[in-house]
Amino acid sequence: MSAMISIQNVNKWYGDFQVLTDCSTQVAKGEVVVVCGPSGSGKSTLIKCVNALEPFQKGEIIVDGISVGAPKTNLPKLRARVGMVFQHFELFPHLTITDNLTIAQTKVLGRSKEEAMEKGLMYLDRVGLKAHAHKHPGQLSGGQQQRVAIARALAMDPVAMLFDEPTSALDPEMINEVLDVMTELAQEGMTMMCVTHEMGFARRVAHRVIFMDKGHIVEDCDKESFFGSPRSERAQQFLSKILQH
Amino acid sequence: MNYNWDWGVFFKSTGVGQEIYLDWFVSGLGWTIAVALVAWIIALILGAVLGVMRTVPNRLVAGIATAYVELFRNVPLLVQLFIWYFLVPDYLPEGLQTWFKQDLSPATSAYVSVVVCLGLFTAARVCEQVRTGIQALPRGQAYAGLAVGFNLVQVYRHVLLPQAFRIIIPPLTSEFLNVFKNSSVASLIGLMELLAQTRQTAEFSANIFEAFTLATLIYFVLNMSLMVFMGWVERRVRVPGLMVGGK
Amino acid sequence: MDFSQIVPALPALMEGMVVTLKLLVMAVLGGVVLGTFIALGRLSSNAFLSGLAKAYVNYFRSIPLLLVIIWFYLAVPMLLNWITGDFVPVGAFASCLVAFMMFEAAYYAEIVRAGIQAISRGQVNAAYALGMTYGQAMRLVILPQAFRKMLPLLLQQSIILFQDTSLVYAVGLMDFLNSARSRGDILGQPHEFLIFAGAVYFVISYCASYIVKRLQKRLVV
Repeated sequence: MSAMISIQNVNKWYGDFQVLTDCSTQVAKGEVVVVCGPSGSGKSTLIKCVNALEPFQKGEIIVDGISVGAPKTNLPKLRARVGMVFQHFELFPHLTITDNLTIAQTKVLGRSKEEAMEKGLMYLDRVGLKAHAHKHPGQLSGGQQQRVAIARALAMDPVAMLFDEPTSALDPEMINEVLDVMTELAQEGMTMMCVTHEMGFARRVAHRVIFMDKGHIVEDCDKESFFGSPRSERAQQFLSKILQH
Repeated sequence: MNYNWDWGVFFKSTGVGQEIYLDWFVSGLGWTIAVALVAWIIALILGAVLGVMRTVPNRLVAGIATAYVELFRNVPLLVQLFIWYFLVPDYLPEGLQTWFKQDLSPATSAYVSVVVCLGLFTAARVCEQVRTGIQALPRGQAYAGLAVGFNLVQVYRHVLLPQAFRIIIPPLTSEFLNVFKNSSVASLIGLMELLAQTRQTAEFSANIFEAFTLATLIYFVLNMSLMVFMGWVERRVRVPGLMVGGK
Repeated sequence: MDFSQIVPALPALMEGMVVTLKLLVMAVLGGVVLGTFIALGRLSSNAFLSGLAKAYVNYFRSIPLLLVIIWFYLAVPMLLNWITGDFVPVGAFASCLVAFMMFEAAYYAEIVRAGIQAISRGQVNAAYALGMTYGQAMRLVILPQAFRKMLPLLLQQSIILFQDTSLVYAVGLMDFLNSARSRGDILGQPHEFLIFAGAVYFVISYCASYIVKRLQKRLVV
């Protein structure tokens, strides 16, 4: 398998404070990787580096053969090829659901209105929300908004999807509807990198699990060995805390 | 002293041509609206550009906008007007200078000065509102815009500005009203707008109280109509399910 | 441009500045006091009082300051004439002062009202529980807290007022701007004197705003 996302020795500082230290890992095409770790461990920062929403000072990230850090890289073009789902959904509240789904397709990819609409509605149907097409985001529940956000990213035909804590802002009863969509997506072979605390999801769906702490990648192994016998003490503590729930 | 109350004064002849005093008020109101509306358009466009400049991650660009705001906010409006009307024309290129000083009628050159002055003055205030509106948005919105592949211009155009403008409609409304009130300084460089006509009526007819009462009423009605208009705008652009001014 | 004439003109300009500052200080003090009473009126449970206060505020907020200045300049002598029966020369300074005080009171009133409303209802109850009258509760408990909170806003409004005092040009009062303009005209250097006047206003306003911003930060912490 070839690497869709390759992260090599990435270092990042906020002023004097180092948030990422020598992070290296790879996500192969069709692979689902879950990134977990305590808050402040740098996992959200790392995933935002992948599509250059956060700059990094040292190291290299290559997505689908394109270097993210290289100054001549066309970042909008790169980002259009990578879908991202945020903790707080970040749908555009002033636009209707259909406009949310089509605006980047028409303005960034240059698709026709009809083509964008057709594609957008297809994905909206897939996440089970076709009936809400003409509403505004504020009229939907959190779980529904997050499913629209996933559809918005998918409509761009991304080569990979990044999930930044997609369920942590949701009420418990809405978490599963979002995880179900993500699971389906994984089963279809989408390349996915997910920052999440949902260990059940990781167990069922992930191929590999990365555990981060204080800006370091502490564990990076297949899920069987991660859940079976994590090597580091920090990962053991984290797991025992999270699995108690 | 006897004061001759006469509410019918507005229908009396001014002694200038066929005009009655009411004609003066009507033409004054016309100038007031003409000054305020054009100045407001300048202020909105320039203010939006400056407001965006203050929020971009570039020190030089943000610094230019900050300097603009500080300069135009800390010099009295009247001083700015005098500079635009008395000083700037002398430093215009030859052709433009003759055009401004000789080809334009006195009313037109005063009009141009006051519109430019008031437009640039108000732009500094609009800039601050726009900046506040943009900064009030959650940071994730800019991220989300970038993540779907927008460049910076598109992020502002499609994501940040449409939301920021909705948030700032109430403070923008009061700036809009201020433009109308501030346009009265035009009377001090001889433009016969509403206040100048009021003063002239008071002095011609000696019916001071009637003249100023009518002017007050006109300003009052003007204010109310503008507020109703902006309320209508706010309702038209209101987004279902979105708490404006919340967060 | 030749700014050499400004130095010999400084004493005259200084006189103008004294007029400006005198007008400013008196208008701020009078405006804040009057504005506080209007704010208390607006918050009163007496519908007539609060309606009257609201009408006052709305009235002055919907007309231009310049209109008030000119109107009072023409009307105050006349009103005094009616009241006292004979001619009392009041002059531009007094009529401008009254105009500024009454106009700014409407703006100060809104600031004071917001300040009072920001104090929790529990403070009023606590004051009443200790047996204080309305006047005592306001004077000893509510207003001191409210004024501390709204001091930056009151000062900001006063900086705007400082700039707006230049509008007395309309009635010929020799404030700072007007004396700079007349000197400039007499000496044939109107541009230089205008720029100088603008620079002085800028420096004072800018520094005052800076101090208010610092103060605001200190009060928040």
